[in-house]
Amino acid sequence: MHVCCGLTNHLELARRPDLYGNPVVVGHPGGRGESPINKFEHVIAVSEEAAPFGVAPGMALRQAEHLCPQANFLPPDPEAAARLRELISSALYDLAPAVEVHVEGIAWLDVSGVVKGGAISEARRRLRAAIGREPRLGLAPGPFSARLAAARARPGRLVRVDEARAFLAPLSSHELPLDAEQLERLDLLGLRTLGAVAAIGPRELESQLGHDGRHAVMLARGLEPDQLTPWRPPLFTSAHRQFEEPVEDREALLFVARALCGDLAQELGLRGAGAKRIRVRLMFESAGRAQGALLLETEQRETVVRHPLSSAAELFGLIGSWVKEWQPRAPITELWIELPVLEGAGRRQLRLWAGGDGNSEEVIAALERLQERWQDQFGAEVVHKPRPALLSSPLPSQRFA
Amino acid sequence: MQEALNIAINSIRVRFGSEALTRAAELPPPQPWPSRTPIDRLTGIGGLPHGRLTLLSGHGTCGKLTLALLLLASATREFAHAMVIETSANFDPWTLLPFYPELSALTVVRAPAPDPAGEAAVALARAGAGFILLMGEIPEHWLGPLESGASRSGTVIVGVVDAPGRAFAHASSLSVGFSRTDWIWERGQLVGLRASARCVKNRVAPPLGETELEIRYPLGTKALSDHRGQVSEIPSIRVEGLECTSAVV
Repeated sequence: MHVCCGLTNHLELARRPDLYGNPVVVGHPGGRGESPINKFEHVIAVSEEAAPFGVAPGMALRQAEHLCPQANFLPPDPEAAARLRELISSALYDLAPAVEVHVEGIAWLDVSGVVKGGAISEARRRLRAAIGREPRLGLAPGPFSARLAAARARPGRLVRVDEARAFLAPLSSHELPLDAEQLERLDLLGLRTLGAVAAIGPRELESQLGHDGRHAVMLARGLEPDQLTPWRPPLFTSAHRQFEEPVEDREALLFVARALCGDLAQELGLRGAGAKRIRVRLMFESAGRAQGALLLETEQRETVVRHPLSSAAELFGLIGSWVKEWQPRAPITELWIELPVLEGAGRRQLRLWAGGDGNSEEVIAALERLQERWQDQFGAEVVHKPRPALLSSPLPSQRFA
Repeated sequence: MQEALNIAINSIRVRFGSEALTRAAELPPPQPWPSRTPIDRLTGIGGLPHGRLTLLSGHGTCGKLTLALLLLASATREFAHAMVIETSANFDPWTLLPFYPELSALTVVRAPAPDPAGEAAVALARAGAGFILLMGEIPEHWLGPLESGASRSGTVIVGVVDAPGRAFAHASSLSVGFSRTDWIWERGQLVGLRASARCVKNRVAPPLGETELEIRYPLGTKALSDHRGQVSEIPSIRVEGLECTSAVV
C-alpha cells in the first residue's frame, strides 16, 4: 500500500480564508449545554499563527484567550466543516481508488497502482483550490506514517518515506493516537520514542495499555494496521414542495420545478455527484375520502440517463420537458423530484466492458419508453425481440415467437 | 481570398478560442468498427465508422440488403444491442440465420411510419445502442438529432435504401453504391449475382475505389464455409443459405 497524505488547516479554519495570516482560534462556546461535556469551553482548532503562543486544541477557551488575546475567536460550525469535507472528498474522489478526508484537515489517498506523480500533484492542486493554502504532503506505506511525513514537509512539498520503521523510530511517542493518560504511562515506562515502542513486544504493551497498546506497537513498527475508509458519493437525494392551494397552472409548476432543480443541483455540486436516475412524482387529492381523511394519489415518471446530470440546467431540461407535456388528472398538491441513483459526476467510462456500445440499461430503458409511448397507438408488437420458435415452419409468422 | 479567410479564421479563434474552428483535415477520424466484410476496405479506416451514418444504396437486386444483413449478424455477435428499425414490416429475422446471428442481441422496431422510425432511431442512438440498421429513410428533421446522438454515443448506423433523398445522402458520412453486374448461372440455373460496390461518398477518409461482390442463393446443402476464400485477388463475399428480400430468384 502507498498512501499519500495531504495536511491542511483544520476545516473549521478553512471556512474563513479571509483570516489566513492572522491567529485564529475556533472554540466551542460552552457554558450553555446541559451535558457535562458541553459545560466547559474548549478549543477545537488553532491556526499556525496562534500555535506559537501555546494555544492547542483541547485546552480551555479562557486559557487560550490568556495566551493569545489578539487571536480571532470563532465559534465552530460543524455543518459547514462537514460540507467542506464532502467537497474535498468529491474533488479527490477520482484521483485514487480510496480517499478519506477528516475535518482535522487530513486527506489520505491510497495511490497504490496509481501513477503517483500525476495523482499527487493534482491532489495538491485541488486541495489548494479547496482550502486556499498549500497543503503539506507525505507519501508513505500507510496512513499513520504518511500523516507524520506530511507534518514534516514544508507547505506545497512532499516528504517521501520508503522505510516506515526507520522513519518513525526517532519520532516522539506522543505522535501515537493514545489519550493523555496512556501517553503519560508511556513516559513513565521510558518509552519516549516510537523506536522504543517498536522495540518491545505487542503483548507487553497490551498488558499495560490494553488493546490500544498492541495497536500502538504495530503503528510504531510501521506495520500500518489501519486501512482507509473510502469515501463514497451519496446514493439518494430528493427535493419536494407542498402547495397550500392545489396548483393548476403549468407555469407555476414549472417555476417550482426549476427552483427544486436548483436546490438539487446545489446539493449535487457540494457532493460532487450526478443523478443517474430521475423520478418526478406529482401528488393530487383523490376524489374519494377514507374515514374523513383526504386520499392522495400519485402520478410519476422516471428515467435513466446516459450521463449523470449534475447542473440545474441539465435537470430542468429533462424535468421541465416532462412537466410541459404532463396531463395530470387533478390539481397538484405536492411535487417531488427524486434522484434515487447517484454517482460521481464527470467520471464517465463508456464502452469499457460492453462490446462497443453504451450502457445496456439505458438502451433497455429507451426501448421500454418507446414501447410505452406507442403501445396504445400502434400495439404491443412495435418493439419486438425475435425468439426462435418453429424455424422449419413454412409460415414466416410461426418461425419466431 | 486565402488571406481574407485566414484573417477571418484567426479573428474567430482569438474571440472564441483556439478550438472554435478546426480544419476538417485536422479532425481525428472516427473509430472504426471492423465488420470483416469487403466494405471495410472501402471506408479507408478499416471498418464502419462509429457514430456516423453509413448508407448502402442501389436500385433493385444488387446485394445491398445482403451486405446489410451480414453486417447486422456480425453486430449481434459483437454488440450488446443490435437494432433493426423498419417502416414497411418486411424484415424477416429468418433471413439472418445463414449468417449465424446472436438473436438475443437483436431487437426489431417496426415503426408504423417514418416519423416514429426517426424518433426510435434518435432515442436508441442517444441511449447508446451498438448498431442500428435503418431499413428505409427517416424524415429530415430527425437526421440532425440522429447525427448528434450517434456522434456522442458512438453508435454504428447503417441505412439501406434504393435511392437516398438529398437530406439522407447529405447526413451520411459514408455512402456505398451497389450495382448488379451479372447474374450467375450454373447448369442453366440461376445461383446468384455479382455486384460492384463503389464508395460514392466518404467523409471519414479519402474515397477509395470499388470492390466486387459475389452473392450466391441457397442451393443444395453446401456449408457456408465451403465457399469462403475462393476469390483471392478481388475482395468478395460469397454467401449461401440466403433468402434476400431484394433478390429475384
